[in-house]
Amino acid sequence: MDKRERFYKTIHRESVDRPAFWLGLPTDAALPALLKHFGAKDFQGLKKIVDDDIWTVICPYHSPVSDLIEDPFKFSMFLEHTESSAERTLTQPGFFAGMEDPSEIDRFDWPDPAQYIDREAIRRQMAEAPKDRAIMGVLWASHFQLAFEAFGMEDALITMKLQPECFEAVINRITEFYLQANQIFLEETKGQLDAILIGNDFGTQNGLMTSPEDLREFVFSGTRQMIEQAHSYGVTVVHHSCGSVFDVIPDLIACGADVIHPIQALARNMEPERLKENFGNQVAFCGGLDAQELLVNGTPDAVYQRASELLDLFPTGLVLSPSHEAILPDVPVQNVEAMVRAVRDRG
Amino acid sequence: MVSMEEISQALQKGKAKIVQELVQQALDEGVSAKTVLEEGLLAGMDVIGVKFKNNEVYIPEVLIAARAMNAGTTVLKPYLNESGEAAIGKAVIGTVKGDLHDIGKNLVRMMLEGKGIEVIDLGVDVSAEQFLDAYQKEHPDIIGCSALLTTTMSEMKNVVNAFEAAGVRDKVTIMIGGAPVTEAFCQSIGADIYTPDAASAAEAAKQVLTNKHNA
Repeated sequence: MDKRERFYKTIHRESVDRPAFWLGLPTDAALPALLKHFGAKDFQGLKKIVDDDIWTVICPYHSPVSDLIEDPFKFSMFLEHTESSAERTLTQPGFFAGMEDPSEIDRFDWPDPAQYIDREAIRRQMAEAPKDRAIMGVLWASHFQLAFEAFGMEDALITMKLQPECFEAVINRITEFYLQANQIFLEETKGQLDAILIGNDFGTQNGLMTSPEDLREFVFSGTRQMIEQAHSYGVTVVHHSCGSVFDVIPDLIACGADVIHPIQALARNMEPERLKENFGNQVAFCGGLDAQELLVNGTPDAVYQRASELLDLFPTGLVLSPSHEAILPDVPVQNVEAMVRAVRDRG
Repeated sequence: MVSMEEISQALQKGKAKIVQELVQQALDEGVSAKTVLEEGLLAGMDVIGVKFKNNEVYIPEVLIAARAMNAGTTVLKPYLNESGEAAIGKAVIGTVKGDLHDIGKNLVRMMLEGKGIEVIDLGVDVSAEQFLDAYQKEHPDIIGCSALLTTTMSEMKNVVNAFEAAGVRDKVTIMIGGAPVTEAFCQSIGADIYTPDAASAAEAAKQVLTNKHNA
């Protein structure tokens, strides 16, 4: 069974030699130790060494204000928009803070994605991708989170309640940007791409940030449009949301999400066992190996043991991966190795 | 005659303008500022806090309630000053060094204020030294540290250490919270109180102040 086939069978909840595995996206600070430990030259080399079933490609974007497709707007009123986004916080006042009328939407200089997406670089990445792996475009397309940035998080949430037409105008315009951007990416990768990763953080450790009703009113129509667009190209959608999102998993399934990522295992009601019992016959998952406590502070034996338990729980239907895709530098490399070993020992 | 329940209800619904009007009306009718504050505004925030803890309301509802409370206290302030009413205590809060996540910390600020506690908010990326400086300047009863990341929560230990080194550790209650923080971690670094959410943090802070006043 090659890796692409394993990916599809896993997410379709069919029998597999072993469930698919995704290493995730280690941060720049975490990567050097991982490369050294596994003897890899670069990230893609590391993915080969650890038998990652998923190959990730990004949507290269270069505008005068941003080099990141996941953060393409210069909404912040105070900070320079930096490439690294290291200083980005969602709670700073944004361009639309204090918005009083939906017509103000046109005051912002909305970028045209067609002008700034590097199509040649997309083609180059696709040509370089190994043919035996599932190829996933990491697009994020976080229309809800970027609406936070557009106003400043608190202002956004207050506007959502008190001037919903203003919030709606902004989130819909962001959605429009991503529908155009994703379309370009999907066209350039047509027939070669297996999945895209999109999503927003809806959850906190203890519950949703906003009510399910508000998410249904303001957010999920954009989510559904992006998913339908990907499906029209035959591309699977992995939907990301950190936090406790148990209450809206049925909504995400109804929107068409094929895979729910990342199962923040220590958040309320997000234990993989609970998710399997409630949704295991409706949708696939990706993630699940706790990155808040176990991967950071646990021993390699404990990591191996829990990864093995998850693989027992989900003989298929779960792409095993850390419960936060951005592996941080405080995760010991030995624990990453233990996770990889648990997967390998199944195959 | 305005009832305190009316003020509380309007606050819970985030009706800032109505809260403002009702507070003024109550004062005009001779209700004391202390009663309006405690039985109207703070009582309303108490209900919101409990509902938030139980996932019956969410962050936006807390934000608009806090905004309504601020509108009400703006009207009350001159009357409170006149009658010599003061906050029940003071807290200095911030997100620890290296961490820029602040929605949780901001909710804690709102909930603490909703308990009648004065809050000095140091913002994000706050070093142990800055917490200590603020203590020396403000003499708060409580220091509150927030972190979202596993990589930054260890800064909380540095805060505890800084207060120990300065010889003032026993003068202040150090509270910690944030997604990856646990009770076990709280104990391991020698902090005083861990709470899992903003509403619980405010309840615990009020208890600290009540105990202090009763001691």
